[in-house]
Amino acid sequence: MKMPPTLAAALLALSAWGLAGCDSGAKLAPGTSGDPELGKLALTQYACQSCHKIPGIIGSEVYVGRPLEGMAKRRFIAGNLLNNQENLMRWIRDPQSVYPETAMPNLGVSEKDARHISAYLLTLD
Amino acid sequence: MPPASSPADTAVDTSTDTAAGKPSIGEADKSGRRRLIVKTAILTLLGAGTLGAAVGLTVYRAGWYNIGATSPHFSGVYSLLEGAMRYSVRRHANSVVVPHLSEADIVRGAAVYRDNCAQCHGGPGFAPSTHGLSMQPVPGPLVDATARWKVRELYWITRHGVKMSGMPAWEFHLSEADTWAVVAFVNKMPAMSARDYRRLTTAPLPTVTPAASKGQAQ
Repeated sequence: MKMPPTLAAALLALSAWGLAGCDSGAKLAPGTSGDPELGKLALTQYACQSCHKIPGIIGSEVYVGRPLEGMAKRRFIAGNLLNNQENLMRWIRDPQSVYPETAMPNLGVSEKDARHISAYLLTLD
Repeated sequence: MPPASSPADTAVDTSTDTAAGKPSIGEADKSGRRRLIVKTAILTLLGAGTLGAAVGLTVYRAGWYNIGATSPHFSGVYSLLEGAMRYSVRRHANSVVVPHLSEADIVRGAAVYRDNCAQCHGGPGFAPSTHGLSMQPVPGPLVDATARWKVRELYWITRHGVKMSGMPAWEFHLSEADTWAVVAFVNKMPAMSARDYRRLTTAPLPTVTPAASKGQAQ
């Protein structure tokens, strides 16, 4: 059976869309820099999702750290830090510098990765 | 009305014919229809099965499923595997009898945990090492382990490990006593602050060397 090229193209496009996991492709939030898509990948390489429930990330139902949905809407993070990208990066990279007794460990996140990760988190509203 | 050629071909209700003593055409018609339904169902199942197998084989042999650890499982695959693990552990740990676990076990368990577990699972305020952080599936924290597992299940997982997750079986590397000690410690972790964890795992403790532990393996 010979398939009409338009049908073949449509099928190919459909399967590509299916394989892409229906990714919406996060848009950078205003006032932030970095690459949200890269951040979405990087955060799984620092095991963020092992303690936090994060929208868009496949993982277990965990409540060790606070769930991170609605990050873009929060006014404060870590208790009393104003929620902006610089503060979020500081918290991600060195939580003990903000709150010495926090159970969130210092995971050795590089500045570059922290920027991407925070860019992703700040798209979550 | 045309003469009925065969009972199966007749769609009209002829149940009044039963008086004649032979099986009614209505009965035969019903069984014929049932046969047709069963046949259709079997053929549909066979067809669907064959198609499913063909699609499965294609996906499998073409290598479309990305096995790389930078690409997550599909959500359904992840929860299916996780659920299978949970049910399996629940069943297999059923016969485990939990011994009395003392304060000394917790202290000893802290050293066992520090030396063998924290590298992948971390602790309150303590990060896993690089390989633990980026493993897929993530080993995950154990500070919430008691919310997920009973004590006997923690023991079973520690002793037997979990296939395809990176969790090793400690049966041949930790003594029975050390295995229970580390379970006792993990059982106390939910109530531990970062400071408690630090104190318990950095205080001068009886060092647990693999050689010393192995001696007691059953």
